[in-house]
Amino acid sequence: MKWFEYGNEKISHREILVAIPSMVIAVGVLSLPRDLAAATVGSDGWILLVISGGVIVFITWLMARLATKFPRQSFLTYSSKIVTKPVAVVMTFIFIAIAIALAALEVREISDISKQYLFDRTPVEIISLSFLLVVVYAVSGSRAGIFRLNLMFLPIILIIAIAVFVFNIGWFSLGNLLPVFETDFTGVGRGLTTGLLSYMGFGIILFYTSLVDNPAKVPRSAVIGMCIPVLLYILIFITCIGVFGNSVTSNLIFPTIELAKEVDIPGGFFERFESIFFVIWIMAIFNTTVMAIDVALLALSSIFKNKSKMKIVCVLSPVVYLIAMYPEDLLDVSALGGYLSYFAISYTSIVTILLSVIAKVRKVK
Amino acid sequence: MGSFFKRKKQDKKKKQQTKDEDFSIQIGKNLDKNMENIKKMLEQPNDLIIRKFSIRNTNHKGAIVCIDGLIDTAEVDNDILLRIQGVTERKELPHNTKQMFEVIYQEMISVSDIQKGKTLDDVTNAILYGSAVFYLDGIDEVLIMDTKGWESRSIEEPITEPVIRGPREGFVENVRTNMVLIRRYIRDPNLRFKTRKVGRRSKKVLVVTYMEGITHPDLLKEINRRLDTIDMDDAPESGFIEQWIEDSFLSPFPQVMNTERPDKVAMGLLEGKVAIILDGTPMVLILPFNIGDALQTPEDYYERWAIGSLLRALRYLAAFIAMFVPALYIALVSFHQGMIPSKLAFSIAATREGVPFPAFVEAMLMAVTMELLREAGARLPRTIGQTIGIVGGLVIGDAAVQAGIVSPVMVIVVALTAIASFSLPAYSVAISFRLIRFGFMIAAAFFGLYGIILAYIMVNIHIVNLKSIGVPYSAPFAPSFFSDWKDLVFRAPIQVLTKRPQYLKPTDQKSGNKGENGS
Repeated sequence: MKWFEYGNEKISHREILVAIPSMVIAVGVLSLPRDLAAATVGSDGWILLVISGGVIVFITWLMARLATKFPRQSFLTYSSKIVTKPVAVVMTFIFIAIAIALAALEVREISDISKQYLFDRTPVEIISLSFLLVVVYAVSGSRAGIFRLNLMFLPIILIIAIAVFVFNIGWFSLGNLLPVFETDFTGVGRGLTTGLLSYMGFGIILFYTSLVDNPAKVPRSAVIGMCIPVLLYILIFITCIGVFGNSVTSNLIFPTIELAKEVDIPGGFFERFESIFFVIWIMAIFNTTVMAIDVALLALSSIFKNKSKMKIVCVLSPVVYLIAMYPEDLLDVSALGGYLSYFAISYTSIVTILLSVIAKVRKVK
Repeated sequence: MGSFFKRKKQDKKKKQQTKDEDFSIQIGKNLDKNMENIKKMLEQPNDLIIRKFSIRNTNHKGAIVCIDGLIDTAEVDNDILLRIQGVTERKELPHNTKQMFEVIYQEMISVSDIQKGKTLDDVTNAILYGSAVFYLDGIDEVLIMDTKGWESRSIEEPITEPVIRGPREGFVENVRTNMVLIRRYIRDPNLRFKTRKVGRRSKKVLVVTYMEGITHPDLLKEINRRLDTIDMDDAPESGFIEQWIEDSFLSPFPQVMNTERPDKVAMGLLEGKVAIILDGTPMVLILPFNIGDALQTPEDYYERWAIGSLLRALRYLAAFIAMFVPALYIALVSFHQGMIPSKLAFSIAATREGVPFPAFVEAMLMAVTMELLREAGARLPRTIGQTIGIVGGLVIGDAAVQAGIVSPVMVIVVALTAIASFSLPAYSVAISFRLIRFGFMIAAAFFGLYGIILAYIMVNIHIVNLKSIGVPYSAPFAPSFFSDWKDLVFRAPIQVLTKRPQYLKPTDQKSGNKGENGS
């Protein structure tokens, strides 16, 4: 049925705009204020967020430019043109590995946090499995459907985040933000890395641009899309510091959820707002997981052209589940998350810069 | 999907051929032979009228065949029989049979809709649809005259979709009347009615209605393609058509809207949608359909915009209540007691003190009772129906609480849910929300809030993948058509609503109360 073209697999630059924040905003932001506060003094962290955000936005722009040069071509196709085919295949495989690991990490984190905040008796294995099954259901639908899900969920996610901010204004004390500009250089270094790592996931542009109908507008949309998480992170960080102060924030496991705990809805309809907040946040984590698996799918099907989508999903999802179940406890999980984000961010950035430079030098068209 | 339709189409073609061979008996020149054929074909029912007579002043034999009750007897007597028998006519008739037939056709019979027929199939189909057929001895042709005149329901206020403000007319079972009703709303020469027949046995008239120059031609092509594939004995109600042409029969959501209101159809047509009228049912189908349409009524436009917007927002709230509240009750009571404000938690706990069942069983018990009551109320005669409501709602509810089977809070929850689902304007949508509600309740029983959100995500996944005649079901929301958002959850003032819905890609975009490009 090839009519009403917007119903087909093609997407517009607007969907890229929404996909990027949906991908980037996930579990990371729940613990981000802790790591950032631990590294910095007072509320200095937000400056580091701005700087690292600027760097990431620049790389995003670079990435979008690179992908836009080769309209309607998959990452494998255009990277084979720039570097050779074997190198491109290896690069794609590393991206797939990152995506699978990221999906597994999200699945595991969501189960751990649910166990902590929603129910304590249900085993992690069951929570993860049910989540993963829903993810598999989404992935086996149409790809355009995934972008529509982003469009439907992102506003809800942003609204609940802003609600947390608004309801906390009453607890906000400006004194907590002081002192400013007191962080030493080691702190700045650590803070910058933390900031950079929290933006993991923007690599999807390299893959999804091939689906966009009118790629010329993608760089602009990508940059705007990337600005959304940067602003959101800064907002959440400053609220955390303003409400809890630096030392408390650095000792909470999930400061953002604790922030929601402080919320006191006027009229007392609900207590424990953090449960509501986390439940809504599941949508954000869900979007990230779905897109991570979908990018892996897209990349895999560009390598194995004659394998059906469902076959790849059937192989992929048990792998994700096994990786998600591998870490023993919360410490293992956060260690895995740390390694993964270091590797993902540096790998994605290096690949982008290298490809852009080589494409420029060799004048690949 | 495509291949499914294709296969059906080929099948149908094959069957059509074999059937045509059976029925395409030519009409002969001998009158008596022809009458024998007709009688044999219909096995001489006693409501078959065969009136043989001789044409005025001649020896030529003629006959009129029709079915009693389907025709307007006065019309047949006065406009056909009287003229041909010629009590009042003075003009000489030609003696040549052929010429005489032409004169009768051209000059004598005063019926506006008259056609010539050649086969027995034409004749039987016509008389079974209320026509009178004129035979002349020695001619292998017949005249088929439209003399429909059976008893039918008069135009009444639609029972399933009452409005406080707005026209009171509703569709009836007669397809002609329904077409007239629509014509009276849209006096535009571009309004099109395309008639086709469905049903292999009983050939029902089906009319596809659209606005030329507004409706996207591809939409129309797709609908016609799907209608072509219909192959069934009979289509007793438009629900058969709906289920045959819908995109996914596994979905709990209706993908075609049905309505009894001509104003709703007219509004849909002017937006660029297509309506399907089937003879024999007052339910007209409007398609495509999407999630936004599910919660709109024509009244939103008749009332002033602020009120219209408010009512729409209220309906969105009602939809959420209808789907989520019992599930939330289960989740909160059995998993997250901490989320309920302490005082309320204590009073709920106190009222649940004597209740022997877990919250899920309690909720299921009440929800199923509610569905039973509703079903009973719908089936009973209207006067007793209300009694059932009172007996069921008040007596059973109260007694169940007194007996300690359910807690009073549960009764409130169920009542609230029922009221919320009654306030949804489209019955077919409300019924699917009721269905989904049970899914949410089961999810909540297993995983609490986590289960509810997973189920909600699943419903969303389903909706974004669903299409109605190729148009995404989640259309104005995602893929986003921002100019359509003016008329979605909120209804902007009519001066602002200058564009037709963009997601339907209407060929004429301006609905033009500014007058530049308007139709």
